[in-house]
Amino acid sequence: MSYKIPMGPYHPALEEPYKLDMICEGETVCDVKLHIGFNFRGIEHLAESRNYIQVIALMERVCGICSNIHTLTLCQAMEQLTGLTPPPRAQYIRVVVAELERLHSHVLWAGIAAKLMGFKTMFMTCFELREKVMDVLQVISGNRVNYSMNRIGGVNRDIEDPLAILAMIEQLEGEMARKVIPIFTTSTTARLRCAGIGVLTHEKAISCGVVGPNARASGVAQDLRRAAPYAAYSEMEFDVPVQQDGDVRARLLVRALEILESCKILRQALTKLPPGELSTGDDKIVFSTGTATSRVEAPRGEVMYSVSWKENSRNPSRVHVRTPTFANMPAVRWMVMGARLADTPLIQASIDPCYSCTDR
Amino acid sequence: MNALETQPEIISLESLAEKLGIAEPWLEKGGVHWLIPGALSVRKLAAVMNQVQARFVTITAFELPGTEGFRLEYHWDLDGRLLGFPFLLSGNSIESIYDLCEAVDWIEREIHEGFAVDFLGREYEPLLLRQGDRPGVNLREEKK
Repeated sequence: MSYKIPMGPYHPALEEPYKLDMICEGETVCDVKLHIGFNFRGIEHLAESRNYIQVIALMERVCGICSNIHTLTLCQAMEQLTGLTPPPRAQYIRVVVAELERLHSHVLWAGIAAKLMGFKTMFMTCFELREKVMDVLQVISGNRVNYSMNRIGGVNRDIEDPLAILAMIEQLEGEMARKVIPIFTTSTTARLRCAGIGVLTHEKAISCGVVGPNARASGVAQDLRRAAPYAAYSEMEFDVPVQQDGDVRARLLVRALEILESCKILRQALTKLPPGELSTGDDKIVFSTGTATSRVEAPRGEVMYSVSWKENSRNPSRVHVRTPTFANMPAVRWMVMGARLADTPLIQASIDPCYSCTDR
Repeated sequence: MNALETQPEIISLESLAEKLGIAEPWLEKGGVHWLIPGALSVRKLAAVMNQVQARFVTITAFELPGTEGFRLEYHWDLDGRLLGFPFLLSGNSIESIYDLCEAVDWIEREIHEGFAVDFLGREYEPLLLRQGDRPGVNLREEKK
């Protein structure tokens, strides 16, 4: 006999609003329906009543974790409409902040995944490290969540002492390589809890249009930093970790390895930080009529902004945001079908969902 | 670790246009390679995109001034290139491609909800982003 188990409208581990209606037979999940929109904010609509300064502040609030990525993508789109190209130093600083944000996001996720695996000590270790990443972001921007780093034509703040930041990064990298990565990659507990569960096949990952680490864990080798480089990524050397198994462990491994790749990129960007201006210095921003699109590889995958403007208008006529979780979340259905009920919180969390982004 | 080292053979945009039966040239603008679909149906487009293994990205909906209808911009990613196909809707409906492209489900539902555009040939689940049963109140301009 089948029965329905609702999980939500608040995720039991992530404490964010979204609901799964699971049809189960015994302990096995047969099918699932996903519900979102419990806190839908209509930000795209709000953006149409904000000027080019206000809209950056607004879009920084789409996500509480990758706030910088949203302003970066938005500013890149607006730069196409204004014809402004940020100077090289600004492009490098954009890379530094984007990679710190990736570290922050991945370590936060690792902590939550550890907690769901029943690995509470690891949860505390990850959150301690996350605090240190946030300390670095605070040193650079003065803030731990919304960094206000991006502006049209550049960045708002300089990294005055890159070597001091580099020392902090090296210390972080050492701790991650010593404490976090070995446990996630070699621990028997992590392997037994994650291997073979929540499988998203390569074919399903493609047909669902899944992005970011979730896609790479199913063998879809795409990363916009490599495939369509932006900011200063074309000048960075790094690997794109790809796993083939498509299970929770593969998603764990991809993110763990990406932490090390982010540190590699940070080291290069901070060492080679070119001298020069932080922005084009234009006080008056002039938009041409048209639509511009920009994409960025956020910690959770591709973010895309499509921005339309009419000449002499104060506000955009349309801002469309496609967040990675909006692309990734429908695939949860295929991951939990056939899974044991007890595994579903970990499977859901394994896509690193952001409901704030989804309910933009 | 398996790193992204080898790239598959990259399909040229010209050969893609040929597959689509479009003689018009691509226009690279605003970060997108645009191709005007002309008489091409969105379903034929989706089928060809599947054939070349392009990844569906999103649909962006624009309400046109007055009673001119809507413009729906369909985006796919092909080997890191963002492709754009603008479809003009004089009314408020267009064929759904959900049966051809699973990834389109939520964005079709969202546009249906936000702009009251009908994607023909599919069934809708209850509203995706909010409660109630009246689509087209979030982003579509209220008509007097």
